[in-house]
Amino acid sequence: MGDRLDIAMRASHVVAIGLLVLALVFAAVAAASGDRFYLRLATEALILGGLALSVDLLLGYTGLLSLGQAMYFGIGAYTSAVVIGITPSFWAAMGAAMGVTLVSAIVGGLIANRVRGVYFALITFGMAQVIAQVIYNTRELGASDGIRVPEIEVPLGVVTFNAADPLGFFLLTLAVIAVMYAGIAYLLGTPFGRVIQALKANERRVPYLGYSVWWPRMIVYVVAAMVAGISGALYPMLRGFVSPELMYFAVSGNAVIMVVVGGGGTLVGALFGAMLITMLKSMIGTWTEHHHIVIGALFMASILFLPRGIIGVVRPRIETALWRQELRAKHPETGTLSAGKGAAQ
Amino acid sequence: MTQRTASTAVLQVAGLGIAFGGLKAVDDVSFHADRNAVTTVIGPNGAGKTTLFNLVSGALKPRSGTVSLEGRDVTGLSPAALQRAGLARSFQITNLFFDMTVRENLGLAAQVLDPVGGALRPLSRTGRAATKVAELIDRFGMGPKAHDRVAELSHGEQRRLEIAMCLACEPRVLMLDEPTQGMSHADTAETAALIRSLTAEVSILLIEHDIALVMDLSDHVVVMHQGRKLAEGSPQEVRANTAVQAAYFGH
Repeated sequence: MGDRLDIAMRASHVVAIGLLVLALVFAAVAAASGDRFYLRLATEALILGGLALSVDLLLGYTGLLSLGQAMYFGIGAYTSAVVIGITPSFWAAMGAAMGVTLVSAIVGGLIANRVRGVYFALITFGMAQVIAQVIYNTRELGASDGIRVPEIEVPLGVVTFNAADPLGFFLLTLAVIAVMYAGIAYLLGTPFGRVIQALKANERRVPYLGYSVWWPRMIVYVVAAMVAGISGALYPMLRGFVSPELMYFAVSGNAVIMVVVGGGGTLVGALFGAMLITMLKSMIGTWTEHHHIVIGALFMASILFLPRGIIGVVRPRIETALWRQELRAKHPETGTLSAGKGAAQ
Repeated sequence: MTQRTASTAVLQVAGLGIAFGGLKAVDDVSFHADRNAVTTVIGPNGAGKTTLFNLVSGALKPRSGTVSLEGRDVTGLSPAALQRAGLARSFQITNLFFDMTVRENLGLAAQVLDPVGGALRPLSRTGRAATKVAELIDRFGMGPKAHDRVAELSHGEQRRLEIAMCLACEPRVLMLDEPTQGMSHADTAETAALIRSLTAEVSILLIEHDIALVMDLSDHVVVMHQGRKLAEGSPQEVRANTAVQAAYFGH
């Protein structure tokens, strides 16, 4: 029988599969009705969901609050934009974005992992501000105007479509985010993943399990940065431009809000939060430009009343159901007796 | 009991010392712990017992002296490296992964038993670590609470889980810092019996305040006072020592 962490992850997967089905139905309906606006909005939500996944891996599972995760998102986006400007190749852009993000993440990790707690939050914030300012002042990178990006073809072997095709690009983004979600979930289910979660639970005890604290933190920091960078690489293909604002605190902070509202430490909550916040911003934005007030109130309400976010309300019920199922599989006759033990906190 | 010699020692501490500011918290302390025996460090509050533990377990780096584990010099190694060398320790203040379940805690402690190459494969349900966890849950009678969060356990249960966590990695030396601290009378007796039974598989270095327990449990006692070793010997010898009586037992 699995541990509670495994059951909790499987409960997240149930929600994730629900969201995936919903996304596919939405795509079918949107395609049938010839919609472009909502498909592109949903694609943006997914891309920001990738950034939120990266924040959740750090905040929700490792206990590291990064207030500058948009830096890696921006580095991925700028690398992708620059490469597309040189050669209009999807794969070159993705590959280069991953490579540059990897190198930056190692440098950033060496700096940020010298400190912890509040200082980690502050230094990640500071690094992002510095890089954003450097780009803002670099003419070769378009300075404050950013870079315009031409439309490119996305050759996927079996099919080739244009990145400006809203349905195709939505499905591509959905696939990329789904693969990253699955990859993080897999990592968290390994002995290495358990050590990461132990860091959040009680970092000072980890050395006495026979593990260094520095290496797991460093590795998870780099993995999270890669997730943000890959998400960012898709951004210029959707929007046709990049600008320094991508790295500003508003983007980093927004990703934290998405995670907290959706449900930190649930993985799927990051994606759900990204969809919810992006949708709310767009909907409220059509009536008033003060959508920040609503998002801010939602953020505060989540912290006060929903410590595990919106997914944290739903998931324990699924966990209980999964426990029952496991118990029944193990002891068919007594399965329901102690069902739910250990689930639902 | 057989004669104590250097050849029966599993853990040797020689001339160990550290100072904080001008205060010599541990000053030139030497002793050794015998294989499959209980060696207990006692002393009044502030005698330097926990600091000594921190030096031996790698939490602090000694300014002078050496620590050897089974003849190998392990002075100044990190806690993680010492843990892998076979030295496990518990803490005076319960130090567990409170948000995780009993089984998850034990799993974390046991997973060093599985090969490093498996670190990125899904958690094994059949490997050495998994077997160890099942065995410890059984042995400590934690089956009904295996999937409870540690924060929900009673204090006594948490203290016992600390010991189980230390055993999970199959150490050579087990260092227990006041394992019965805050326990009820019944829990203390049960824990003492447990510690006694453990000597079959592991050598134990203990810090303990409960003198009756120390006398009952220990094969060898090291008395510390103001950072220095005041005396050592069998429980009877230590009890008869007048300097120890003056410093520790009072009059």
